[in-house]
Amino acid sequence: MSLDFEILQRPDFAIVRVRLAQGEKIFAEPSVMASMDPALTLRAGLKGGLIGSMSRAIAGESLILNTFSADRGPGELMLAPGAAGEVIHHRLRGGHIYLQRGAYLAHTEGVDVSAKWGGARGFFSGQGLILLRASGTGDVFFSTYGAVLELNVSDGLIVDTGYIAAFEETLQYEVTVLPGLSLGSKAKSFFFGGEGLVARFSGQGKVWVQTRTVNPFLSWIYPYRPVKQRD
Amino acid sequence: MQIEILARPAASVAKLTLGAGERVTCEVGAMVAMSTGIQVQTSTRSKGAGGIWAGVKRVFAGENFFLNEFTAQHGSQTLIIGPSLSGDIVHHVLRAGSLIVQGSSWLASGPEIGIDATFQGLGKALFSGESVFWVKCSGHGDVLLSSFGAIYEIEVDGTHVVDTGHIVAFEDTLQFKVSKLGDSWIQSFLSGEGLVCHFSGRGRLYCQSHNPPSFGRALGPDLYPR
Repeated sequence: MSLDFEILQRPDFAIVRVRLAQGEKIFAEPSVMASMDPALTLRAGLKGGLIGSMSRAIAGESLILNTFSADRGPGELMLAPGAAGEVIHHRLRGGHIYLQRGAYLAHTEGVDVSAKWGGARGFFSGQGLILLRASGTGDVFFSTYGAVLELNVSDGLIVDTGYIAAFEETLQYEVTVLPGLSLGSKAKSFFFGGEGLVARFSGQGKVWVQTRTVNPFLSWIYPYRPVKQRD
Repeated sequence: MQIEILARPAASVAKLTLGAGERVTCEVGAMVAMSTGIQVQTSTRSKGAGGIWAGVKRVFAGENFFLNEFTAQHGSQTLIIGPSLSGDIVHHVLRAGSLIVQGSSWLASGPEIGIDATFQGLGKALFSGESVFWVKCSGHGDVLLSSFGAIYEIEVDGTHVVDTGHIVAFEDTLQFKVSKLGDSWIQSFLSGEGLVCHFSGRGRLYCQSHNPPSFGRALGPDLYPR
């Protein structure tokens, strides 16, 4: 049975409306529920047991996963990500996709969401290329800050690690610096290029790229913070 | 170079399609994604601008000391670039003369465009809340500008008033001075407009719907002290 849903208010304030049929369930990140039919039941729990929860916590997701179920009858709920931006739906058919930390929003039964390390190089990049893996058969929803570009990779693609929202498992990736800014030949470029680290994708598949990242906004707002009184 | 602006207007990015050997100069940190056949080089200079000194002046103009140059090694290479804050992007085609750009609004420009900082007067900087230096783009080709919020253009013929903080760029056939709005100083301050920029001449003026310092000052007091 396919999930009855619609993504509304795109692209800047996307929100998902889900209509659960009797007996249906959806799992969601805590605090993403904006409104719901009181006929639905909400249960907070450690989905996937303690180990599964711990691995999600390491990946920047919360320990708790909320379950909305329509045990008593059908009902509608609205799920909204924390930041303004897009929501993307992806139907998994036995394969898996990788999600950047913080992008995960919700999934249906049959999907398993767990943490997968981006590898030592990704981890030390400071860009937090820490990934969650969504696998199985079912629906997964994730969100982006800003708009999203769905890019098909066939001839390689380079993406700044901060802008990656999700990508398909069929792609291989390597975290590196921009071509031309290699450390050995041009140390100046490496330090001053300012583009940070990039992921170089190869193979065939899809990458979802967000058009803004939160960090530059945080650096911009910093000088406007009040200064702590010292006596 | 083909330019397409996507995801308008709140989180716009520019998708540039470069032919073999085509080159574009971008603000440092603007690269979102690109094809694998593009080489990147960091430099302090751009066409017609002199080395380190140009870099130093750009810092005062609110820009980075360094610029990144992207060169396509083969045909039909894609480069996606975007600004760091929310807002739109506008594509201006420069045919002659110069375009004076507010420091943080310059995003990218074609290889035949010289980028230099231009002095707009100390008094103007102190009173307008804008930079002492602005980025001056001259030559011919494409210039991409970014705005905080939406962007709108005004064809000035005569005079026009813009509040400080809302200027994105203007053609150098326009001049501006900073002064009070209206006849009386009291009225000008009570209105909350304070000082404004009076433009005169004939040319195009790009404005942004939102003013970053106003937004910063609105949010700042609610943030945890640093």
